[in-house]
Amino acid sequence: MLKRTTWIAAMAVLVLAVACTNQKGPATKAVADAEAALAAFRDDAARLLPDDLSGVDATVASLKDSLAKSDFKAVMAAAPDLSNRIAALRDATAAKKAEWEAANAAAREQWNVYAADLPKMVEAIQSRVDILGKARQLPRNVSQEAFDGAKSGLDWMKSTWAEATDAFNAGNAVDAAAKAQTVKEKGNEVLGLLGLAPAS
Amino acid sequence: MATEEKPEAADATKAAAENPYTQHYVVQKGDTLSKIAREHYGDPMLYPKIFEANRDILSDPNRIKPGQRLRIP
Repeated sequence: MLKRTTWIAAMAVLVLAVACTNQKGPATKAVADAEAALAAFRDDAARLLPDDLSGVDATVASLKDSLAKSDFKAVMAAAPDLSNRIAALRDATAAKKAEWEAANAAAREQWNVYAADLPKMVEAIQSRVDILGKARQLPRNVSQEAFDGAKSGLDWMKSTWAEATDAFNAGNAVDAAAKAQTVKEKGNEVLGLLGLAPAS
Repeated sequence: MATEEKPEAADATKAAAENPYTQHYVVQKGDTLSKIAREHYGDPMLYPKIFEANRDILSDPNRIKPGQRLRIP
């Protein structure tokens, strides 16, 4: 009886070992496939959906940990859900990328308008500020407070315009156009402080 | 005698002419560049700024005509 029990136990261990060995290949492949699938769109996901990517990366890391501990069963159990999550993330990233590209294209058109307009606005304001800076007194329609506000506004316009240009040159037309819009608004405010009319 | 335009004056005129934000003033009877400079800059002594920006239509700062549309940089 004892021999029979020992034999059964030995067989069970053998079956388990074979089963584990049989699962090692698929489990290893499942993790490798997940990593390869992620690599195909990782850069876009990192830029557009970083939090979602972090969640999927954490699951992949968990599966790799199970793989390292030879817990192939756990890997195989979690692999289908991980595969689905990667597919969902891939689709969401593609949709977000298309949305971002459309917004960027529209922003580039806006940027072209600002790029042709704002340097001239800054130039005209700078010219007037320089001239008024040499005047023995300010014109009747410009107070000292307004002139000081115009000078600081002009400084802000120049630094923000430089930031906008840097953003555009870095490929981020959306941020660039948004900053340019604020420069335009500030410019109109400064024109008013100096008693000047908007562009003709 | 022909007058030769200074390069910097030409630059100022061209820049002002091409800039939509440059302000304009239409000369009225009795105006002088000094009077226009006092009105726009608060200081009549700054009239050369207006003269330089309008060298394409002014040859003498003492001679402006009613109806002339001047750039006020």
